[in-house]
Amino acid sequence: MPALNNEIDIDKQRILTRIGYSDDYEPSARISSLVDDYIENYHDLIAPSYSYRIRNIESVDGNRVDIGNSIVLKSKKLARLLERCEMVAVFALTIGNYLEDLVTYLADNGLVLQATVLDAIGSGTVEKLAIQVEGKLRINAGMEGLITSWRFSPGYCDWEVSQQELVFRALDGDAPGIRLTDSMLMIPRKSVSGIIGIGLPGNDIENYNPCNTCLKKDCPGRRR
Amino acid sequence: MSGDIIELIKENVIQGRVTRDDEGIEEGTIGQPGVTELIKEALASGVDVSDIINNGLTASMKVVGQKFENEEYYIPDMLASAEAVGAGMQLMEPYLAQSGVKPKGKVLIATVKGDLHEIGKNIVSILLRGAGYIVKDLGNDVETQDIVKAVREEKPDFLGLSALLTSTMVTMEDTIKALEENGLRDKVKIIIGGAPVSEEFAREIGADGYGADGFHAISVFENLSAGNSATP
Repeated sequence: MPALNNEIDIDKQRILTRIGYSDDYEPSARISSLVDDYIENYHDLIAPSYSYRIRNIESVDGNRVDIGNSIVLKSKKLARLLERCEMVAVFALTIGNYLEDLVTYLADNGLVLQATVLDAIGSGTVEKLAIQVEGKLRINAGMEGLITSWRFSPGYCDWEVSQQELVFRALDGDAPGIRLTDSMLMIPRKSVSGIIGIGLPGNDIENYNPCNTCLKKDCPGRRR
Repeated sequence: MSGDIIELIKENVIQGRVTRDDEGIEEGTIGQPGVTELIKEALASGVDVSDIINNGLTASMKVVGQKFENEEYYIPDMLASAEAVGAGMQLMEPYLAQSGVKPKGKVLIATVKGDLHEIGKNIVSILLRGAGYIVKDLGNDVETQDIVKAVREEKPDFLGLSALLTSTMVTMEDTIKALEENGLRDKVKIIIGGAPVSEEFAREIGADGYGADGFHAISVFENLSAGNSATP
């Protein structure tokens, strides 16, 4: 899949929040100018790209979702979504490794403030890229009279990170420059993979949120 | 003279100014010497290295820690000060051996196998160095057997383990078990940290302490160094 352009704009206030400031706090001139500098220049450090495949859902049984080619996703909460869907979009995306190489270099050399700021910009950027790809899939589905769900990634909720391998298998080897470690983490680290359910309107696909019925109120991944 | 320059070093660490080109937490400081210029000047004029460390760097980080605790400083402000301390310690490294400054202890620190996150670990490393510990950083995604080997060979007083993922925090327990199996568990105090872990988890897996953030981690190391429990 062709790389997206680098026009991923990030909001300074969100970066300040990510590095630990509360919303109404005015950072010092030092921190403010450092964040400004990196926001000004981070475009040179990212190479966004993505890929996806649309797969039919063969069957859903309990916590098992068969998406063909012997690929069976295991998660009760995913199954609850995908039993309402006709298809599933499997995707992976990344902003490349330049930015995080610089983060590692800075952190290794004791420049932990700069490393933290740049790392937060990387996290904000890959999140924005994921929103763009999600939007593109939503528009494509809409043109066919279909709707899409939120996105779900291995490692969240009851979908184990070990299932990352299946997501990559479902991409037919077309991961955009991303490789998996033995522990199923993605390299570059600033990458996102996952699935989005696709189906007919009227099945409450677009609002499905397993967090609504989850009792783990302090979960850092909780979505409202 | 010595007192004046130590005070300036202290003030500039609190301001998070590494060099004269840096803006401080308060505006209007650009152009005035930062921590590195001041330490070079102090060393050139024969100021005692232990004085620079104890009354300049360590004392200033205590002030920063208080400001952080009082919510006057946020994480980035603390990191700016940590950068200044790190740069200062780097300059003084060649002088440490001959200075007679006794380190408070030796720390091995690592992010466990399967986890690639290292910024938090690096922050704790800098704060520990600034507080007077010798730190050997084993890096991230470190195999359990390599941690065991390093504990056997380096004979550290402390082992710091970091994990940022729920899927990798369990490796901390494996590491402690591996140290037990190799007869090394009682030779080293183990302190854990990272977003998903907690005091309770530390107790469950048999660690000696848990650091909730950089400064809290340092206080846990200090308490254990003094022979107290992690949180007296």
